[in-house]
Amino acid sequence: MSRWAAYAGIAVVLAAVPIWFESFWLQTGLFAMAAIIAAIGLSILVGIAGQLSLAHAFFVAIGAYGYAYLADKIPPVLALVAAVLAAGVAGALFSPIAGRVRGIYLGLASLGLVFLGQHILQNATGITGGYRGIAVPPFSVFGFEFTGADGMVVLGVPFGPLEKLWYLGVVLVAAALWYGHNLVHSRPGRALATLRDSEVAAATNGIDVVRYKAAAFTVSSMYAGLGGVLMALAFGRIVPESFGLMLSIDFLVMIVIGGAGSVGGAAAGAVFVTALPLVLNHYSGSLPLLAEPGSGGVGAAEFSRLLYGAAIVAVLLFARDGLAGLVHRKERVR
Amino acid sequence: MNQFVTLLVGGLFLGAIYALVAVGFVTVFKATHVINFAQGSVLLLGAYVIARSHASLGFALAVVLGVLVAAAASVAIDALLIRRIRRADLGTLAILTLGVDILLATELSRRIGTDVLNIGAPWGNDVTELFGIRIATSRVIAGAVAAVLVAGFWAVFKFTDFGIAMRSAAADGVTASLMGIRLNRVAAAAWALAGALAAVGGLFLTSFPAAGVTSGVGLLALACIPAVVLGGFDSPGGAVLGGLIIGVVSVLTAGYQEELSFLGRGLGGVAPFAVMLLVLLVRPSGLFGTREVTRV
Amino acid sequence: MVEVAVTPPAVLDVSDLRVSYAGAVKALRGVSLSVPERGVVAVLGNNGAGKSTLLRALSGTLPAHNGAITGGTIRFAGRALSSDPAAIARGGLVQVPEGRRVFANLTVEENLRAGGLAAPDQAARAEARAWIDALFPILRERASQRAGLLSGGEQQMLAIARALMASPQVLLLDEPSLGLAPKIVEQVGAVIREINERGVTVVLVEQNAAMALSVADRAVVLEVGEVALEGAADELAESDAVQERYLGMATQAPVPGHRVASRAQPLRVDDLTVRFGGLTALSDVSFTVEPGSLHALIGPNGAGKSTCLNVLSGVYAASAGSVRYGERELTRLRPHRIAALGVARTFQNIALSPAVSVLDNLLVARHRRMRSGFVADGLRLPRARRERAEHEARVREIAALIGLDELERPVGTLPYGTRKRVELARALCAEPELLLLDEPVAGMVADESEAMARAITQARAELGISVLLVEHDMTFVMGMADRVTVLDFGRRIADGTPAEVQRDPDVLKAYLGGAA
Repeated sequence: MSRWAAYAGIAVVLAAVPIWFESFWLQTGLFAMAAIIAAIGLSILVGIAGQLSLAHAFFVAIGAYGYAYLADKIPPVLALVAAVLAAGVAGALFSPIAGRVRGIYLGLASLGLVFLGQHILQNATGITGGYRGIAVPPFSVFGFEFTGADGMVVLGVPFGPLEKLWYLGVVLVAAALWYGHNLVHSRPGRALATLRDSEVAAATNGIDVVRYKAAAFTVSSMYAGLGGVLMALAFGRIVPESFGLMLSIDFLVMIVIGGAGSVGGAAAGAVFVTALPLVLNHYSGSLPLLAEPGSGGVGAAEFSRLLYGAAIVAVLLFARDGLAGLVHRKERVR
Repeated sequence: MNQFVTLLVGGLFLGAIYALVAVGFVTVFKATHVINFAQGSVLLLGAYVIARSHASLGFALAVVLGVLVAAAASVAIDALLIRRIRRADLGTLAILTLGVDILLATELSRRIGTDVLNIGAPWGNDVTELFGIRIATSRVIAGAVAAVLVAGFWAVFKFTDFGIAMRSAAADGVTASLMGIRLNRVAAAAWALAGALAAVGGLFLTSFPAAGVTSGVGLLALACIPAVVLGGFDSPGGAVLGGLIIGVVSVLTAGYQEELSFLGRGLGGVAPFAVMLLVLLVRPSGLFGTREVTRV
Repeated sequence: MVEVAVTPPAVLDVSDLRVSYAGAVKALRGVSLSVPERGVVAVLGNNGAGKSTLLRALSGTLPAHNGAITGGTIRFAGRALSSDPAAIARGGLVQVPEGRRVFANLTVEENLRAGGLAAPDQAARAEARAWIDALFPILRERASQRAGLLSGGEQQMLAIARALMASPQVLLLDEPSLGLAPKIVEQVGAVIREINERGVTVVLVEQNAAMALSVADRAVVLEVGEVALEGAADELAESDAVQERYLGMATQAPVPGHRVASRAQPLRVDDLTVRFGGLTALSDVSFTVEPGSLHALIGPNGAGKSTCLNVLSGVYAASAGSVRYGERELTRLRPHRIAALGVARTFQNIALSPAVSVLDNLLVARHRRMRSGFVADGLRLPRARRERAEHEARVREIAALIGLDELERPVGTLPYGTRKRVELARALCAEPELLLLDEPVAGMVADESEAMARAITQARAELGISVLLVEHDMTFVMGMADRVTVLDFGRRIADGTPAEVQRDPDVLKAYLGGAA
């Protein structure tokens, strides 16, 4: 009973955010939500299935650019679905490589994919607009447009695109968390975990290793694609630079800090990594240690990155299971 | 034809620099089983130290300082961090080095900012002519230095006690320790070597025709990863060959950009990774690496 | 004048040594051993008895295998032993590791040079080199060849020579006769005697009791981490106790095999050959597991038993020959397809997910019988929930049969014996027709292995499954099997009932060496 009460409480708080908070927080929150969704996907791939991948940014890009390209040609809801499916298909196409190469070599192959992806994004100017990027068409459902154009006002607060997107984001994140949690604690999740710990044991227990690797990549890429769509909507305009190696590394940082293999951990890590630089920057005027960019001191962006680097090192040396491990305090497994 | 030969030779000399950094990479992998993603920022560190100190110390001493600092930083990474989780799996160790890379690269780019630092090489923007082909002098010197260093290290590995110790440790660490080989010392030596080679590589990668030391230089070291994959992770000889091939591929695709424009612009940067993907698909163990047995 | 017998001082003194791996597996439970100067002590025992662990403790390489000394002391030449393997080697205690472990890509010469790095000085190195040249002329010939290309016997000589380069005071040998032909084993024995005559103390760990006992002065038999027997080598060689442990003789007469009504099909292995590169692991092996029977596959270390199981479960490819389960040819199939036919297996080294609960590990075996997937489970559809409840109930039943409770705990926190039982339970949860067991009782104490034996026979009776059992523990095997196939060097050397096999001269030779 108390669990439902807690969920209800959280739902009320989340619903109230656009009423109380200004647009900076809404946008930061949207970026965080996009990151949460994508991070859950990576956590499933790396933490549960044990497939090291640095290509996540590539699949996020497919989602983002897929939506941006399609949304003014077909209804945005369909464009969202199509973008997510496209990302999933791309993941499935990449998965045979996971059958040929394992472990760190897979990580390296995925590295190649990121650079290849960047190359395509910069050069396929017809679809992607090249280095200048393209505008992202606003979302709409059954004629209800996620823009400020209709002059909607709720409880005295004008509801523009950010406010409306906030609710879309919350719904998507909730769905992503719920599905991810269910997956991890059921037959496919067990199969993937066995795959990670011993491919031979998985195979001799009737698990088709090739199919499940493909499934892991597909699901994880679909998550990435959905995160990409939300990210595109939050940005309003996307450029190839945003989907490079840095983004892939950011996702890896999120799940390492949060605890690989934990859906909740991935979410926590995602919020931390995404929100921190934005929040620090917002308050950099009043924080003593941070300096203005270019002045030679430590700016918000740099401070955040230094913090991540240190956090990864600290987690891997002292708290291998990340935030999730600290919260759950499971029996120490050797 | 003349263009092809010029590009080929240019590529070989660039490849020599890649080979140098790649050998350092492979040495660390063989000796301690770590894929060192921090190699790039160590390279940047070496170049940065040289760039900042050549005005006061003179070029030669600045280079020595840069090499020593890079080597020391590498050893510190191993001794303070890697050693604590030595027995962790490859993926975890790789991500740890990634964390270190983030730390080091961020701090260095903060100091460099948007500046372009001059590496202060005495050969400046000179161009040499070799058999009718014009090549940047820095590249020629790079090639010569790389050849000498690689030959030198090969000799050390093959003929000295230290080289035998390192090769034994790389082959079978536990058995090597049964022979009285001090694994920690071998590890430190390997990392120091890799750091030193990275610094030298950094020196040449930031000389003419490159603009100088910028924040993005660390990413250049990433280009060595295709070289290492091509050669096979546990083969120094493969690393050399891989470096040369990647250098050639890089320069040729950039040089024939016009003819290959249907594949998009900026080919020179992405071609090495395309090659890497191809190698991983066709022959994951690389040209000279060792192979696997079970099937699932 | 009264002569007082003076016992030579012990150069190596092990006292109540306790060792455990990963904090959970108790490999040595209080072993005491005294090695006199210039003596030769043999350490015998089955797989999992703790012989290698003892050597690792002596050479300082326990941490590398995730092990630690949890009690007792070791004194070398009167001083406490260092904890750094390199320091121990340089101090004169040198080990020749199990499986030879020569540096394959280095030449013979370079291998020797590596060994010499532990020598006290150049002079000692030169002296050692001269001695090695005399002892092993073959190595002089092959000096510039890559060590990986030498034959098994030559590699063993190289490994010993490499250790001698350090001018050791004490030489530890870990199963030098492993995988070597009897003639070569004799040569190795002779070399060990010569080395000892030169003044080097030798501790010899061996599974091949005959060779070890013919070379040693004293011997100790380890059993599941404790000293079970000890005494002068020649006395032990004669004793029934040794014979009993090695061939399960003098145990109760094997229970006559009774066929349980079974749905399983016969498993026919015909002329199975497996080659890895230049090495032939199995050569024309044939046997049949009749439906519902318990068939044992035994043989010395390196005989190819695990390789055989791996081919049967689809993990290794066969180079020639066939394996048929009923009508289906298994050698063409990938492992998950073989599992779908009703074949389940356990792994010698336990292939469970340590961070995952026992229950979830067991449920993995139900994978092929369950249908819910990414859609049904992801959306928590009612049919997925029903299916889960049904299979969880069945798994709990089977777990109870094996005596497992605490199903919520992560497997990695459980003691070794319990984990072995989870491994067995998981295979049984698949409700197979054919069960392949790879050393299910390795490293278990007597009552634990008795419990396993009961569990296996009971499961067989209740589920009507065929069982193919690979084991070293002869008492375990001979008491349970209907039929036994014996492998040595990848070939079948005997096949019949336990009684027949126990009397077969080839089998006795393979296990006890020439002395049988």
